[in-house]
Amino acid sequence: MYPFAATGNTKDSLYKEINLPADFESVLMNKLAALDHRYLKDLKINIGNVLKSQNINRKEALLIALSVAVNEKNTALISAIEELAAAEGADEKEFAEVTACVSLMNANNVFYRFRHFMDKEFYNNAPAGIKMSIMVNPVLGKEFFELLSLVVSALNGCEMCVTSHEQSVLNHGGTQARIFDAVRIGAVFKSFTVLI
Amino acid sequence: MKNTIVSVGSKFPEFKKISVVSLEKGNEFYDITSEDHINAEKWMVMFWWPKDFTFVCPTEIAEFNRKTSDFADRDAILIGASTDSENVHLAWRKNHDDLRDLQFPMLADTSKSLAEELGILEANEKIAYRATYIVDPQGIIRWVSVNDLSVGRNVDEVLRVLDALQTDELCPCNWVKGEATLA
Repeated sequence: MYPFAATGNTKDSLYKEINLPADFESVLMNKLAALDHRYLKDLKINIGNVLKSQNINRKEALLIALSVAVNEKNTALISAIEELAAAEGADEKEFAEVTACVSLMNANNVFYRFRHFMDKEFYNNAPAGIKMSIMVNPVLGKEFFELLSLVVSALNGCEMCVTSHEQSVLNHGGTQARIFDAVRIGAVFKSFTVLI
Repeated sequence: MKNTIVSVGSKFPEFKKISVVSLEKGNEFYDITSEDHINAEKWMVMFWWPKDFTFVCPTEIAEFNRKTSDFADRDAILIGASTDSENVHLAWRKNHDDLRDLQFPMLADTSKSLAEELGILEANEKIAYRATYIVDPQGIIRWVSVNDLSVGRNVDEVLRVLDALQTDELCPCNWVKGEATLA
């Protein structure tokens, strides 16, 4: 039979691509790797592809991935991605803002989803009383901040948040293609965090 | 005279060609056939260049080499080809730093029969154009790209096309009325 090149270990090359240490322990990843499962190749391809959007530069893509890592509370992935993003010029202020945005969106995703479920006049009109001053003048710029908010809302399943932030991104000059790619990043990184 | 290349939708021509697969003494050569990738149920990406020992070619070949595992992840075998003989391929591999640890075979179309059948033979020196083929596991050509002699290729673009050809969006939310379902 044809001497095809060995692909090498997919799990290892995936960890390398995402900057996780080679000895990172993950029961589920090891389970898949032990069987050289087809899914690991797809996951590696998906991660590689979503970070390479025509409409989102690499630093932005990594910051979106970071928001997923924060939302899913994966400290190893948070460090790994921050390092990659720093190499693209991201700084501490931007990391802090991503973190704050994820936290705020978690509050909003619960609260506004409730409002949407109920759609009762009382809940719709009573003041939310949730301070959101970080939305006013974000260091990441309004359009990208809204884009991040959209992705986190998509992760947390708040319909009203997703539709409002989608409109907001468009109003700030983002395109549907850019939104589409951002959500793909969210989706794929969620698929990764659930394993690690 | 009409310029025709074998293109999308056609079956890739049958071939059996000697190729250089390693620098290990005694194991340098292997006969690759058009059936190999089909039997392995894999896609085949074959990229041609005009001449060994020239400038543009090694930079491209090195780039393909760096991305070999990306092709393997996508169930595609990579084959480099030119009309040079297997001995020239071997000499070039030994000679050039970037080519010593090549992860894929260099096919020698010494008789030029395959390049001719594909319609990618440049008429003047009878060397191959910079053509790239993507062939599916059933042996059908799904993409062909040909550059004139001195223009190099973008390997990321080949991967992008391969991804697009392999799209397997099978989940029910992508189902359109009338299409076959997973069941």
